[in-house]
Amino acid sequence: MSNQRQASSASQTPHLSPAELSYLYTSLSLPRAPIRPDGRSPTQFRPLSAESNILPGTNGSARIGFADGTQAIVGVKAEVERTNLATDTLASQSDVNDSEEHQGSAAVSGHGSWVQMSIEIPGFRDDDALPVFLSEMMRESLVGSVTEGSGKADAADAAEMAGGLKGRLVINKRWHWRLYIDVLLLSQPLSYPLPLLSLTTHLALLSTKLPKLKSQGEEDPFFDDDWAVAEYLYPRISSQKTKLPSQYVRPPVTLLVISVGENVIFDPNREEIAVADAVLAISLTRDSEAGSLKLLSIRTIDPPSRLTQPAVPNSENVNMLGAPAPTEDIAVLNPVTGEEEVPGVWRPRRGGIKRSVIANMVQTVLKKGGVGEDVLEGLEGVEVE
Amino acid sequence: MPLDTSTTYPLTRLRLDGRRWNELRLLQAQISTNPASSGSSYLSMGNTAIMCSVHGPAEGRRGEATGAAGSAGAIVEVDVNIAGFAGVDRKRRAGGSDKYVQFSLRSISQSSRIATTLRSAFQSHLHAHLYPHSTISIHVSVLSSDGSLLAAAINACTLALVDAGIPMPGLLCGCTAGMSGSASTPRDPRHDELDPLLDMSAPEEQELPFLTVGTTTALPVGENNMDEEEEESKVAVLNMDSKLHCSYIETMLAVGMDGCGQIRELLEGVIKGTNRG
Repeated sequence: MSNQRQASSASQTPHLSPAELSYLYTSLSLPRAPIRPDGRSPTQFRPLSAESNILPGTNGSARIGFADGTQAIVGVKAEVERTNLATDTLASQSDVNDSEEHQGSAAVSGHGSWVQMSIEIPGFRDDDALPVFLSEMMRESLVGSVTEGSGKADAADAAEMAGGLKGRLVINKRWHWRLYIDVLLLSQPLSYPLPLLSLTTHLALLSTKLPKLKSQGEEDPFFDDDWAVAEYLYPRISSQKTKLPSQYVRPPVTLLVISVGENVIFDPNREEIAVADAVLAISLTRDSEAGSLKLLSIRTIDPPSRLTQPAVPNSENVNMLGAPAPTEDIAVLNPVTGEEEVPGVWRPRRGGIKRSVIANMVQTVLKKGGVGEDVLEGLEGVEVE
Repeated sequence: MPLDTSTTYPLTRLRLDGRRWNELRLLQAQISTNPASSGSSYLSMGNTAIMCSVHGPAEGRRGEATGAAGSAGAIVEVDVNIAGFAGVDRKRRAGGSDKYVQFSLRSISQSSRIATTLRSAFQSHLHAHLYPHSTISIHVSVLSSDGSLLAAAINACTLALVDAGIPMPGLLCGCTAGMSGSASTPRDPRHDELDPLLDMSAPEEQELPFLTVGTTTALPVGENNMDEEEEESKVAVLNMDSKLHCSYIETMLAVGMDGCGQIRELLEGVIKGTNRG
């Protein structure tokens, strides 16, 4: 049971003593120059190996492996399905014209339930909290990334990515694609698996191809059986082509960011998460209009530092009674958490984050040449052909 | 429309994918693919792709290995996971919706059948008595399935176990063999029109009878085995789900064992090649 509880938190907490946690926290919260245990800079990611299009039987697939051995494989499969909206049942009762119009608008903009995501993590059941939470978090940003676009895009808009992913899945009023995204984590999660899974999913979606449609308009769909002419789900940008802004739509990426003191740290490993003041999952994508980055969502994740054991300062330690009280053992106000703490004595974090820290995080991710752009460009660079 | 093997094969003597009766599909393999496990491997036979990782020998998790059974030697645990995207159609899982339960039951039964076969095969094959009170857990993920799943899983497990350094008397190699027809009537030696087929693909498995055979080489013990030129292979695994007349079994078994020999050479090449690099 305790295993279950820990697993549903950000990750299994490593077995670190309060003294180690305090040391780690202090070095990570050094003002403006945090020292990470593996010597990375705050915005540096762990090295990873990535490849895409590895499975012959899928529409798109990718594998990413971190150096510590955690690996994820994502396979995307698409199936044609009849558009069967809930309004169909109402059609018999209400005015036919009215319902048809209603159905038409929904069929043009697409529906979020057409994307299905399932995550498999060894040691977890399908309906455990962690896989369900992770898949919903990633699916949400995937289908939610286009809600704005679908509102603006009218049916006459000929741009392929009108309405983003949801709009792309529409074949015509009666048929649509259903996308199954299966995520396979190949080893026990050593750190919180969200960034790994999100990057792999992004890569798999970039390599996803759908067969070229031959039928036109409202006919039953009929596809070209030549896979070589299949079209990318997210159209690729060729260097010769003028870069149409509407073709800039890319699948979202979810990054894991922690705050320690005033510092913002990216791609934390397990030990770093264990001392985090707050753990945030930030989803972003490219803005289809401006060509810059757009923030989709920020979610807080239950920080495992809440579950760590506290240390006892000397002044309260029974074993130290009678010993002369050291002068430095005086509680001071931590400016970040607003709590009284003795420096060097570990107190479990109670969560909470300052607005300025969140603003700093968002700015680091979104600014030109920032972390978000770096990640997206790096993923784009993975050979998809 | 799928082509019908039983009608085109007698005319062309070529199978659906252009192979002759005795040809294996392209076999590619790698070991040490996952640094987080004791041993790991990736193996693809044609369009069947399998990843396998081995953890252990390690202390058992739930105390099951510490009982009377554990004192005899390590317990082999096998976990087979067939990915949702492995087949031609995406498999629905029980987690999605209730009406898909019967689909998922079928896929679960296939993976648990493979797991049971693998466990009993490797439990007796490995020198498990060297590791009392411990567990060797094998995790097999099927990434892409195009026939010969059990055979490919056996080969992938063998590679991963070799990578993990768990001693075994010889490589356990698996291969499938089938007949190019329904083979429901006794074999006629004068008018023999059915060919045995090696290494079945998924469309062939669906319509033709086939069996899976796994062989291992005998342990060369003593001096008299040193000068023996030919390695003797022993059948360690034999599995057959389809129905055919018993007069064909011998031919299929012979072809399958020959295929196992070819696969053994390929796997040995993979293992030795990795050592060199």
